[in-house]
Amino acid sequence: MSLAIEITNLRKNYKDAYSPALDGLSLQVEKNLIMGLLGPNGAGKTTCISILCGLVMPDSGDAFIFGKDCIKNTVAIRSMIGVVPQQIALFGNLTGWENFIYIGRLYGLSDKKIKGKAKELLVKLGLEKHADKRINRYSGGMKRRANIIASLLHEPELLILDEPTAGVDVQSRAMIIDFLKEYHNQGKTILYTSHLMEEAEKLCDKVVIIDEGKFVVSGSPIELVSQTDGCKNLEEVFLYYTGHSVRD
Amino acid sequence: MRKILATIIKEFILLKRDVAGMALLIIMPAILIIVMALVQEEPFKEYQELRFDLLLANNDHGSVAQEIIAGLKQSKSFHVIDSLNRQPLSSEQMKILLQKGSYKIGIEIPAGVTAEMVNLSNTVANNISKKFGADAILPTRKPRDSNYIRMYFDPVTKQSFRASISFALDKYVTYASSASLMKRLEKLGKAADTSVDTNSFQKVLQGVGIREEPLNNNGKDLVYINSVQHNVPAWAIFGMFFIVVPISGHMIREREGGSALRVTLIPNVQQYVSIGGILFYTIVCTVQFILMLCIGIWFMPVINLPALYLGVHPWDLLPIGISIAFAATAYGCFIGSLFKTANQALPFGSISIVILAALGGIWIPTDLLPIVIQRIALISPLHWGLAAVDQIILRDGNIISVLGYMGVLIGFGILLWLISIFLNNRQQQSVQ
Repeated sequence: MSLAIEITNLRKNYKDAYSPALDGLSLQVEKNLIMGLLGPNGAGKTTCISILCGLVMPDSGDAFIFGKDCIKNTVAIRSMIGVVPQQIALFGNLTGWENFIYIGRLYGLSDKKIKGKAKELLVKLGLEKHADKRINRYSGGMKRRANIIASLLHEPELLILDEPTAGVDVQSRAMIIDFLKEYHNQGKTILYTSHLMEEAEKLCDKVVIIDEGKFVVSGSPIELVSQTDGCKNLEEVFLYYTGHSVRD
Repeated sequence: MRKILATIIKEFILLKRDVAGMALLIIMPAILIIVMALVQEEPFKEYQELRFDLLLANNDHGSVAQEIIAGLKQSKSFHVIDSLNRQPLSSEQMKILLQKGSYKIGIEIPAGVTAEMVNLSNTVANNISKKFGADAILPTRKPRDSNYIRMYFDPVTKQSFRASISFALDKYVTYASSASLMKRLEKLGKAADTSVDTNSFQKVLQGVGIREEPLNNNGKDLVYINSVQHNVPAWAIFGMFFIVVPISGHMIREREGGSALRVTLIPNVQQYVSIGGILFYTIVCTVQFILMLCIGIWFMPVINLPALYLGVHPWDLLPIGISIAFAATAYGCFIGSLFKTANQALPFGSISIVILAALGGIWIPTDLLPIVIQRIALISPLHWGLAAVDQIILRDGNIISVLGYMGVLIGFGILLWLISIFLNNRQQQSVQ
C-alpha cells in the first residue's frame, strides 16, 4: 500500500486558544483515493490541511505527502498539491481568464499550456462562457468552480479541498462532485473536507472522522454505517461518534 | 523574470480598473500642487517681488529729502505715497492711516533735515580743508540732535520686515549724506581754487563695494525660491507618498479576499511577486512625479504663475524621482504588512504621511522650522526627497551632489521592504 499522506502524532496549539487544535492526530491516506476528512467545527480539519500545505508549523509530530516532509520540503510539496481553500482565493477584479493566466505563469507554465488546460477545465466546470467576466461578478457557485480550476492548472497529484461546496446551489454542487469523481478517475488522490455527510457518503472511497484534534474512526462509508449500531447513514455515524452537543 | 512581468501586468490591470485609485494617484496630487502654488503665491512674493506701499510725509522739501525720496522711488521694493488727493501727505494724516492698518510703513522727514545734513557736511569739509592747509571755510553751526528721520510701522509688522526697511532707508540716507559731502568738498575746492577729484573721493567714502554673485557657473542665478519652485516638487512628493493608501489597502484586500493565500500556495514565487509589485508601483509613482513636473512647467504659466524651472541638469531629476518612488512604495508595503485591517492601515498611513510631510518641509521649508524640528525632520523620507529635488532645481546641482540623499531614500526603502517581507511571512504562517 503506497501512501499519499501520512500524518503521525501531530500537535498544534494556537496562542490564546483554550484547547489544542490538533492533539496527537495520526492518519493515513492511500494513493488514488478520495478521502473525506470529517469533523464538527473546531475539530482541526483546516489546521491539518494548513500543516500539509506548509502554511502552519506544527508544535510536534510528522506530516508527509508522497514521502516528502511537509515541514522541511514546502517548495516540493506545493508543486505536487493543489489546494482549494474555503476562501475564494482569486483576484476579484480580474476576469476568470486573467486569473488563470497569472496563476499559471506563477507556476512557471507556458502560456500555451495554461490556455489549453484552462480551456479544458472551464468547459468541464461549465464556465467557458464566463471566462471573460470579472470574478467579482460571478455567482457563488461560479466562484467555487473557478477556485477549483485555479488549483488544477499545474495538474497536481494530490488535490486538497476545504469545503469546496459550502454555500453553493444544488446544480453547482452536483457539477463539482461529478468533476471530482472524473478527476479521481485519472489516477489522482483527493483529500476533501465537508460538513455535508450525504455528499461525503456519495463521493468518498474512505472517510476519517476527527474531533477535538484527535482521530476518532475511519473506514469506507458503507463499512462505517454497517459497523455502527443503529446507524442508517454516514450522518448518523458522525453524530454517534462526535455527539449532539453544538460546537462553537 | 516572467513571474515578475506577470505580476506587473496583473497590477496594471487591477489599477486600470480601480478608477478611484487612479484618481487618488494622478488627479488629486495635480489639484493639490495647483491649489497650494496658488494659495502660497502671495506669501512667497512678500519679500521678493511685492512692492510695498510706503507713506512718506516730507516736511523738509530740501535736496537731501529729494535724494532719499528719489532713492525710495527707484527701489523695486517700495511704492512711495507722498500725497493724498493731490495734497502733500502730512505727518498727522500718515499716522492716522497707519493706525487704521491701511498701510504698513510710514516715513517722516522732518523740516530742517537738509539744513542739518549741509551743516554736518560743512563741518567735515572744513576739517578736511584745514588738514590740507586750505583757507576756504564753509559756514557751520552747532548740530541739532532732533533732526532725524522717523519710521512708523503698523504694530502687526514682523521684526525682520522692520529691520529690512530700516536697512534700506539707512542706505539712502548714507547715499544722500555722501552726495552732500561731495558737493561741499567741490564747493570748497572751487573757493580755494584747487581741483578736487570728487569721483575718486566718493569711491573712497563708499569703501568696499557689495555685489551679489551667482553660485553656479552660468554667470547668473536663474531662479529664486517662489511658490511654484517650492510647492510643485514638495506636493508632488507628498502625492507620491500617498500611494501608501492604495498599496496598503490593496495588500489587505488581497489577504482578506484570499488571493494572497493563492499566491502563497504557489511554490517559490513570493520574492518575484514582491519584486513585481514594488517595480510596478515605483513606475506608477515615477510617472506621477513626471506628470506633476509637467504641470509645473506647462500649466502653471497658464494660471499666471511662474513656470517651474528644472535646473541645468533636469534629467538628473529622473533617478531622484525613482528613488523617492521606491521609498514611497516600500512604505506602502510596510503599512500594508504591519496592519491586519484596512480600518487600521488607511488612517495610519495617510496621517503618518501628513506628519512626515510637515516634518519634512513640505508645508514650510525646513530652514524656517525650529532647530529641534529640523533635526527630527531627518527621519522623514519626504525631507530627503525634497532636499534632493531642491538641490537640482534651486541650486543647479547635478546627480553627484544628490547621491547622498538618494542613498538615504533607497536605504529607507530597502529597510522597509525587508521588514514588510518579514511581516508578510509571519502573517502567512499564522493562517489557520
